[in-house]
Amino acid sequence: MSQTMIAPPDTAEPPATATPPPPRRGKSAATRVRDALPGFLMAAPAVIVFLLMFVIPMILAFVLSFTNWNGYSLNFTFVEWDNYLKAFRNPRSVDAAIFTGIIAVIGTVLCNVVGLAIAALISGPGRSNTLLRTIFFYPYVISALIIGFLWSAMLAPEGAVNGMLTTLGFPAMPFLVEPEFARACVIFTIVWSHFGFNMILFLAGIKSVPIEYYEAATVDGATRWQQFRNITLPLIAPVFTVNIVLTLVGLLKAYDIVLSLTDGGPAGSTQTIVYQILKDSFANSNLGFGAAQSVILLIVTAVLGLSVTLIRRRAERKVTD
Amino acid sequence: MSARTSAPVPARVVRWIILGAVALLMLVPLYTMVINAFKPQAEIIANPLGLDPATFTFDYLWAAITSSKFNVIAAYGVTLLFVALVNVCCIALAAPVAFVIARGRSKWHMGLLLLFVSGLFIPGQVTLIPVVFVLRLLGLINTIPGFILFETAATLPVTIFLFAAYLRTIPRDIDEAAALDGAGRIRAFWSCIFPVMRPIVATVVVLNSIGVWNDFVSPQIILGPSSGIYTVTTGVYAAVGQFATDYTVVFPTLLLAVLPAMVFFIIMQRHIIGGLVTGATKG
Repeated sequence: MSQTMIAPPDTAEPPATATPPPPRRGKSAATRVRDALPGFLMAAPAVIVFLLMFVIPMILAFVLSFTNWNGYSLNFTFVEWDNYLKAFRNPRSVDAAIFTGIIAVIGTVLCNVVGLAIAALISGPGRSNTLLRTIFFYPYVISALIIGFLWSAMLAPEGAVNGMLTTLGFPAMPFLVEPEFARACVIFTIVWSHFGFNMILFLAGIKSVPIEYYEAATVDGATRWQQFRNITLPLIAPVFTVNIVLTLVGLLKAYDIVLSLTDGGPAGSTQTIVYQILKDSFANSNLGFGAAQSVILLIVTAVLGLSVTLIRRRAERKVTD
Repeated sequence: MSARTSAPVPARVVRWIILGAVALLMLVPLYTMVINAFKPQAEIIANPLGLDPATFTFDYLWAAITSSKFNVIAAYGVTLLFVALVNVCCIALAAPVAFVIARGRSKWHMGLLLLFVSGLFIPGQVTLIPVVFVLRLLGLINTIPGFILFETAATLPVTIFLFAAYLRTIPRDIDEAAALDGAGRIRAFWSCIFPVMRPIVATVVVLNSIGVWNDFVSPQIILGPSSGIYTVTTGVYAAVGQFATDYTVVFPTLLLAVLPAMVFFIIMQRHIIGGLVTGATKG
């Protein structure tokens, strides 16, 4: 999501060794086809697979979102905007959209705040810092589904956390039983498993800051907080952009962890958009409605991803000017 | 920013309290999972964090290994096979097209890059429903080729983007040297350029392997329970989902599911972190 991604592939100067462009006029159509053939053959397989599994399905999603197709019957009709109107009116969909928004916003803020704070604390050299980095980061390699099951066992009414609380003389908490608690638990588990990823990117950013800057600042008598605030933060501004966009886009499609932690409950209070999409499409045999919600999610994701990138880029420029 | 000897003592104490508390929070679930995999249900509930040698048993772990609901060993094999197949297909497809994109200068090449890059912004779950439709038309739904096809397509955007960015840093001299040997352009690519791409190929393999190993939604929906083919994640879902309160099933199963990923993590940590930073800052 950095500058390079938007940039065209060949903004770089062509290397001096490049052959001059072949004269167009002298070549017959057959020669030109023969010259282009290897490139075409090299590109074709990837393009075909991508069209088949990505582009065509996306077009189909748009088309299906205007139908009442149930997923298997050959009888379906076009229902115009009904599925979209339903998505905005159906309380179940609206609740899921609100909770997904809460996860995305609070989750992104917490993952980045915790990730940055921990990265700042362990950015120094030394074995203890390397060990701590491993401890904070390891959930990244574990499937979100398994993390959800693990925390669901931890937070269950008779689970380990309540066991600890009662041993210490506190009352047991209704973690996954009360809607408000369950929502908080979903966000906690997501942050628990995700902040290590943000920390790794912040660490890479912090370590890329030249050490001379800190030395000069120390000579000038700047405190460590001042150094962090005025040297580290501005210089890692691009890392913020990447971290915010990746976390936001990732959390908008939260599903696995919700499925295994709460299964959308209690009483549907922790259902997310993707949870709704998959349930409507497959369990409820309402593919048209599922497709409409997919299209909405796709637009929201693309718009949010792009606008955060643009806003952050402006902020980065302001900081570096 | 951290442990410089100049830091005042209170600041150092606060730092260690914060880091210690968070580290504990990270490790307690792992610890709970490991020790409770060797305990009977009553003991797990009565004493979730302790280990009583009197009730210590391998029975439940063995039961999970030999479970008829979820054959873990088979799931390891199946998932590993999928990881290998997706990696091979993804690299075989992505490397040549990335080369064409990196070397081309026309608007077609630009369009090709944009086509694939657009995939970075689109969550796979969104296209999954119509993908099922397409796979059904192709007769590939509930089959391994169908699943590999979708997973490969899902890994293409990041892979092509990273490959193209890397190839742009490789001088064109190599292309020409290869061309002088009289090799065709395709053969020249695989025999001369591709070996140079080793570092970025390693990065891509690490990232894609974690992604495919941990994916749950695509195998669950494309392969489906009716196919009888379970990956580690869909197998855990089938095995644990129904027995969520029988901890003598839950903890041993989760332990078995987590074990290979943790071993991979411990061995490959440096590469995973390096790959992640490359992937995020370049992509």
